[in-house]
Amino acid sequence: MNILESLKHIFGGGKTEGGEAPLSAATAFERFREVLRCNNSALELIADLGEKLSGDYIFDRQYIYNTMEGLEKAVLQSVHALNALCNNKYQILYSTYDRLTTRLDTVMENREDRDGVPVINIADTSRSHYIILGGKNAHLSQMLHELRLKIPEGFILTTRAYHDLIDHNGLREALNAFETAMEAPECTVEALEPLRHSLEQGILNAQPPDGLLSAIADQLKAIKGIFGEDLRLAIRSSAQEEDMNFSFAGQFRTILNVSPAPTAVFKAYLQVVASLFSPKALRYRLRVFPGEGHMSIAVGCYRMVESSASGVIYTVDPADPAGDAMIIVSTWGQGEAIVEGRAPVDTFRVQKKPPYTLLTQSIARKNTGLYPKEEGELGELDIPSELQDQPSLTPSQLERLAAYAMQIEIYYKRPQDIEWAIDHNGDIYILQARHLVIPATAGPKGSLADALKKYELIVSDSGSVAQQGIGAGHVHIVNTISDLNEFPEGAVLVSKRDSSNFIRVMHKTAAIVTEIGTPVSHMATLCREFQVPCLVNVTDILSKVSDGMEITVDAEDRRIYKGRVAELLAFKTATDLNISATKEFRLLKRLLDNVSSLKLVDPLMDEFTPEACETYHDLLRFIHEKAVAQMVEMGKDERRLLKDYRAVPLDLPIPTGILLIDLGGGIDPKAAGDRITFASVTSEPLKAILEGMLFPGVWHTRAADVSFGDLITSIVNVPTDALAGQYSGHNIAIISKDYLNLSLRFGYHFNIIDAYCSDMTRDNHIYFRFLGGATDITKRSRRARMIAIILEAFGFNVASKGDIVTGRSGNMPKSEIIRTLNILGRIVGFTRQLDVQMDSDAQVDRYVEAFLMGDYEIIGRH
Amino acid sequence: MSDQTIKLLVIDDEPIVGKRLKQAFMKMGMEVETFTDPREAMNTIKQKSFDIVVTDLKMEGMDGMTILEEVQKLNPKAKVIIITGYAQVDTASEAFRKGVFDFIPKPFRLEELKNIILRAMSGALSESNKNI
Repeated sequence: MNILESLKHIFGGGKTEGGEAPLSAATAFERFREVLRCNNSALELIADLGEKLSGDYIFDRQYIYNTMEGLEKAVLQSVHALNALCNNKYQILYSTYDRLTTRLDTVMENREDRDGVPVINIADTSRSHYIILGGKNAHLSQMLHELRLKIPEGFILTTRAYHDLIDHNGLREALNAFETAMEAPECTVEALEPLRHSLEQGILNAQPPDGLLSAIADQLKAIKGIFGEDLRLAIRSSAQEEDMNFSFAGQFRTILNVSPAPTAVFKAYLQVVASLFSPKALRYRLRVFPGEGHMSIAVGCYRMVESSASGVIYTVDPADPAGDAMIIVSTWGQGEAIVEGRAPVDTFRVQKKPPYTLLTQSIARKNTGLYPKEEGELGELDIPSELQDQPSLTPSQLERLAAYAMQIEIYYKRPQDIEWAIDHNGDIYILQARHLVIPATAGPKGSLADALKKYELIVSDSGSVAQQGIGAGHVHIVNTISDLNEFPEGAVLVSKRDSSNFIRVMHKTAAIVTEIGTPVSHMATLCREFQVPCLVNVTDILSKVSDGMEITVDAEDRRIYKGRVAELLAFKTATDLNISATKEFRLLKRLLDNVSSLKLVDPLMDEFTPEACETYHDLLRFIHEKAVAQMVEMGKDERRLLKDYRAVPLDLPIPTGILLIDLGGGIDPKAAGDRITFASVTSEPLKAILEGMLFPGVWHTRAADVSFGDLITSIVNVPTDALAGQYSGHNIAIISKDYLNLSLRFGYHFNIIDAYCSDMTRDNHIYFRFLGGATDITKRSRRARMIAIILEAFGFNVASKGDIVTGRSGNMPKSEIIRTLNILGRIVGFTRQLDVQMDSDAQVDRYVEAFLMGDYEIIGRH
Repeated sequence: MSDQTIKLLVIDDEPIVGKRLKQAFMKMGMEVETFTDPREAMNTIKQKSFDIVVTDLKMEGMDGMTILEEVQKLNPKAKVIIITGYAQVDTASEAFRKGVFDFIPKPFRLEELKNIILRAMSGALSESNKNI
């Protein structure tokens, strides 16, 4: 503590709310940088983990353990660093950290299926629930919430309920022994028999855990409230991996036509859960997941759709996986007859792209169909003779089904096996969707390498893999965000640069290719989340493709082919080569779900709180933001700053009255004298702002007539005149080579700009606040609204209230920060006195338009 | 070498490694066999010749150095590439003294291994095979 600080301490000057003496600007800046450094080492580890998920790396379990250990330490360091900057104001983040870390440990130990609620309505589910819903229910949740398709109403008894059931009935010990036995390398179903049998029986005779029956009763009451007492339920299995990477088709039990009474549902539930331990299911598990003992099961209880027709769609023809047709089979009544192979069906081959032309159809004589029986289950009924030879689907139903099917296939990026039903109102319900399993042998014969030689290569060995995979479609070039509005289903997105805004279309994108970008960007992370094949940094791609051109992107060998490469697409569907199904990938993916997704996106929203942090990434984002906020505050304490530091006036041809406080590298050391000219400013963010303010026409007074070139070579000292904004108090710029904290008081309004601008993209930020004005609140608010619109146009997150506007931007490369600061400088200059002219709402649009067109002189013409 | 298809054998006790490499190198037109048990792999090596053997270093039953020595006895022309999660300078240099073609620490990019393999093959194969 220097003498000045000690004195202030004694006299109690400049204390913060907490009663602690605030840090000096230099110390604060140093600690701010320490926050950035800590955040960076954590974010680098996250990026490293994320990159491994792209499929472009070979890694093992040890790598995951080591990196996670390093990450937990790094994030804790970030929490320490923020508290060091902010006088320990963020103690609460330690408990946030503990909460998130405990969760990750649960994932590492494969115990996360034990957390959460035992019963949940499908309508209330979201991403964070997927792990306890089981695979099949998670897919239904996605189709309901992400794809907005109709699925039957219902609720889920989660994997948490399963664990409660095990514990409540004293089966834990047996289950542990069973899982250990399954992990033995030479495990057989025969060896498991005694344990298997006792678990199966234990579950069939189990008592409900406390509260389960009443939770079921509540859910039933809600559904009966809508559909009446007559509704019937289908109780379906949804094991952890079911429908995800392996189909488990027909391995577990489904109980149909169950009456909506809690005891009946519970009884059916037990039967479905017990089927986890059936010899049939165990044989399947030993085959697809050798060495893995743990698997829990959730159960979905869905309203049975009274279907007039139902069936199955394969989005590719298994006999011709590279072809362009899908197969739709259909029959009258319930679809179970089809999957069990019990009934004659109509078969339609439909083209996979609009207008979904019907290619061939074969209509069977359907003399019977399955329908719910009064006493439960399903029974065969005769089909009226006039319907027996009729197609069970109309052309328009076929078209709608095909469109839904493609939506689902494009969303999951793999061929799908979809069960559906149509009710008496003609509404189409999706009952389940899973990856279609096609044996590798079904693909084209011969060497793939040879087959590929006949296709024209547009790009070879260029770019980096952000997400591995293969995708084909028509090119849709995205120049501006609005180009995303008409993004066609299944197109390939090609763009100059990457953007996290692409998330809006990722559910319908076959692949993404960008000319610049890195595999560690936010967009790359999103591509991995959505499994969108993605190549970034592909040189000159925009000059090599055009809108509407069909291409195939191989984001593995880093090649792009002209046209649709059927052989590659067939190769992609071969399941035994599906790397994302391996244990290591699944673990890494689950960890990253809890580490890297970002929920706290907009720091200006109310939800930006420690409680809302769901991942380490959220926490790091929060820390960065609060560190910035702390720096913003620093500039406000004018009196203290002027006491602590020698401030040097900045000499500009416009009257800004800025005093400079240099924390290092912000002013050319060769600059002599008591006044610093523009040419001697070496702080990059300050220079950018000043260049904007000095841009011809922006500062609408006589002084601005000086041309920009003149400014740099000969700086004239123009006296402040009455026309210029009357500033009161001092305008202070705290600067370094890469940092700026600028408070500008012009007459009655106040601008704050805080910016960091380094070579490290993710460190960079811009914070801008504008408030006040000399006129009445209506006019002032109009000016604020105008500023808000302009800021938004330049990609800021904006919050405004009355005459206060706050804008946030960041995570941009240095060049973009500089460009944006230049614009901010123009906004500051341009809008200085505009509140006076805001006499109608129409003026807002007029001035916004003028600013965006670069017509700054509009003000002089008024 | 009369048969122009490159034969690759991969040994790693973590199945993900073999699975991933098989996927990538089959696509390049190679013939790939993978093993998680080094002893099983040795049985195959005794019966059949491979152009390239990619092996993990630390494994239960038999380590990568032993594999290297055995392969060199059986088929001196084969190139051996060692991958490992425990990169140690000592082991690496010892491996080089024993004639390993190259050494690559996990995790690594597929591209890196591809380049090593291409380098290994460029010496061993005729011009016509360079276009893999």
